[in-house]
Amino acid sequence: MADLIAPPSVRALARQKGIDLEKLAAELGRTSIAREDLEGAPAAAGPTGDTSYWQVNHGDYGPVTEEPLSRFAQVAAQNLAAAQALIPAVTHHDRADVSAIEALRKELKPEAQARGIKLTALAFQVKALARALGEFPRFNASLSADGETLVLKHYVHIGIAVDTAHGLMVPVLRNVDKKGLWQIAGEIADLAGRAQERKVRPEEMGGASMTITNLGGIGGTAFSPIVNPPELAILGITRTEISPVWDGAAFQPVPMVPLDLSYDHRVINGADAARFMIYLAGLIADPRRIMV
Amino acid sequence: MADKHAPFIVLGAGPGGYACAFRAADLGLDVTLVDPRASLGGVCLNEGCIPSKALLHAAEVIREAAHMAAWGIGFGDPKLDLDALRAKKDGIVRQLTDGLSGLARRRKVRVVRGAAVFSGPKSLEIDGETWSFDRAVIAVGSAPVQLPGWPEDARIWDSTAALELRSVPKRLAIVGGGIIGLEMATIYAALGSAVTVIEFLDQIAPGADAEAVQILRAAMEGQGVTIHSATRVTAVKAGKAALTLACEGAFEGEIKADAAIQAVGRRANGSLVNAKAAGVEVDARGVIAVDAQCRTQVPDIFAIGDVTGNPMLAHRATHQGHVAAEVAAGHAAGLDALIPSVAYTNPELAWAGLTPAQAKEAGIAHKLTSFPWAASGRNLASGGSDGLTRIVYDPDTHRLLGATVVGRNAGELLAELVLAMEMGATLEDLALSVHAHPTLSETVAFSAERALGTLTDL
Repeated sequence: MADLIAPPSVRALARQKGIDLEKLAAELGRTSIAREDLEGAPAAAGPTGDTSYWQVNHGDYGPVTEEPLSRFAQVAAQNLAAAQALIPAVTHHDRADVSAIEALRKELKPEAQARGIKLTALAFQVKALARALGEFPRFNASLSADGETLVLKHYVHIGIAVDTAHGLMVPVLRNVDKKGLWQIAGEIADLAGRAQERKVRPEEMGGASMTITNLGGIGGTAFSPIVNPPELAILGITRTEISPVWDGAAFQPVPMVPLDLSYDHRVINGADAARFMIYLAGLIADPRRIMV
Repeated sequence: MADKHAPFIVLGAGPGGYACAFRAADLGLDVTLVDPRASLGGVCLNEGCIPSKALLHAAEVIREAAHMAAWGIGFGDPKLDLDALRAKKDGIVRQLTDGLSGLARRRKVRVVRGAAVFSGPKSLEIDGETWSFDRAVIAVGSAPVQLPGWPEDARIWDSTAALELRSVPKRLAIVGGGIIGLEMATIYAALGSAVTVIEFLDQIAPGADAEAVQILRAAMEGQGVTIHSATRVTAVKAGKAALTLACEGAFEGEIKADAAIQAVGRRANGSLVNAKAAGVEVDARGVIAVDAQCRTQVPDIFAIGDVTGNPMLAHRATHQGHVAAEVAAGHAAGLDALIPSVAYTNPELAWAGLTPAQAKEAGIAHKLTSFPWAASGRNLASGGSDGLTRIVYDPDTHRLLGATVVGRNAGELLAELVLAMEMGATLEDLALSVHAHPTLSETVAFSAERALGTLTDL
């Protein structure tokens, strides 16, 4: 008997839709499939315009091969398209001095080695973001589906976007405001590692205050991440660069991390976003303030 | 040239065939239903499930009335009017088959009486008339296996003859201890026959849970039925005064009987329709192989029910019939469900999914839990005999892998367990669903509670 749980009505619907339940369960990392899993995300609202000119026989222009998208990738694509279509998002760019964090990381390296934990810059940024969310409660919120109520969250959970072989996954670190750096660094490493092997449990995803998407290890100077609803904002991070910073007398070489905040303009306005980012950059520049 | 044309033709009007025809008609197909019988319903309605249930009901009332003596209520010995009992049974069958004819008329299903045989990939002969068809469903069922080497004698019956209720033999031998043989034993023992069941395998009701079968066996022996398992009938002599069955194995010797029933199984009727002419293969057992969509290897020819092999059960045929009709109408359908088995004996024996023996053989990790009916208040209060509810489950997930119930109304109780298995329910789901008190269904929840350590009724 198969290990998969799917009631007869769900099995019948899967047959009608031509969906292989065993495959879908494997893709979703689950042992049970409900009707909702087969129905996918609702299509983006509003007229989408005539896209018939997208339908091109690419083979007319040279050799091509076709690769079917996994169910997981199809669902992710639908969700991203809906988020982009429905949320009036603005991206605000800023940067923060990471000299102090780098110095602290160097100083703590022997302890990190002793603990067997890699104390990453991301761990500091996650902690700083948690503190900033405490100061700016309207950023730690979600808009109700009817747009009539703002739900303010009395917890701070941070989603970490993880690039895996089978697609983007966002495991969530719980109660970051109550955790120390060592624990945060350790949990990020654990979640990211398990995401690669698709061993993140369903209850370890969803419910975030905000998501961080970090391309710092790869490169780039800035980008515009797409808000991950029902969250109101997402923080993008690209590669830290030594930049010339005027200290009043001369240019100093300072390691600066670029920060990109995409936010839902229905709830957050530009001035609030700018204040939030200045506060966040300040925490990153002087991590002692996170504690104060 | 064909005399007539059928866009969608169903061969056989048993529970599979009529379900298929009616479903296809409901889906808008132009349907023809062919059967050699004068009435619809096939073996199930005419000489199987339904008449046997009518007689089993009579048997149960006889037994219940006798049991009442212990409760201080005497009814005396039953006075048996065999003709009236037969008429009652036939009346029930007629009521149901007439009902089916009405359902066919209302759906505008064309009913043709006759035996159909294929004459080509898209043609049939029905009693000499040539029909062309677009799509066909083979639903011609099965027939009782006739044992080789038995003499021709009016006292040797198959299940069909046994249900005709020709007489109540003083001594009745039943060869075959499967569901059919045991039900016949239940009927005739209550009507007054001294019944002996001879089963070739070690266990009666082969394939069912051994512990549950033991309870059934003890109960039947208590009703005066003699059971010889692991015993083979080597020769049958039709003497003037009696039939003599020579036996070998666990029981060695001769059994004298005034009638004998052959109940060693049923053979698929695949070889009766000249399927080869249409390109459909039939194996040596008369079985036509099909996929989950009930398609044979020939596109546009489906097969459903007993003719597709084991388990030969009406409820499987009905579901296959719906699937074939839906697939023919262009829907995505398939059969991937559990098929429950029920012996309508006294007590009933019902099971679905894996038995402990099957789980062990397949190397599937499993645990067992059960609830003995001796501790069921409702069972004792309603004069029920011994019984057992038994669940095979996955030790890690607590999901149900199989279930067996032996006891009064076991066939009805099994439905909850089948639904639980189809829904992927766990022991916790069963235990936390409130079962009304006092009911026999509590034994299902109690079995689950017993495994979880939350039972307070034992």
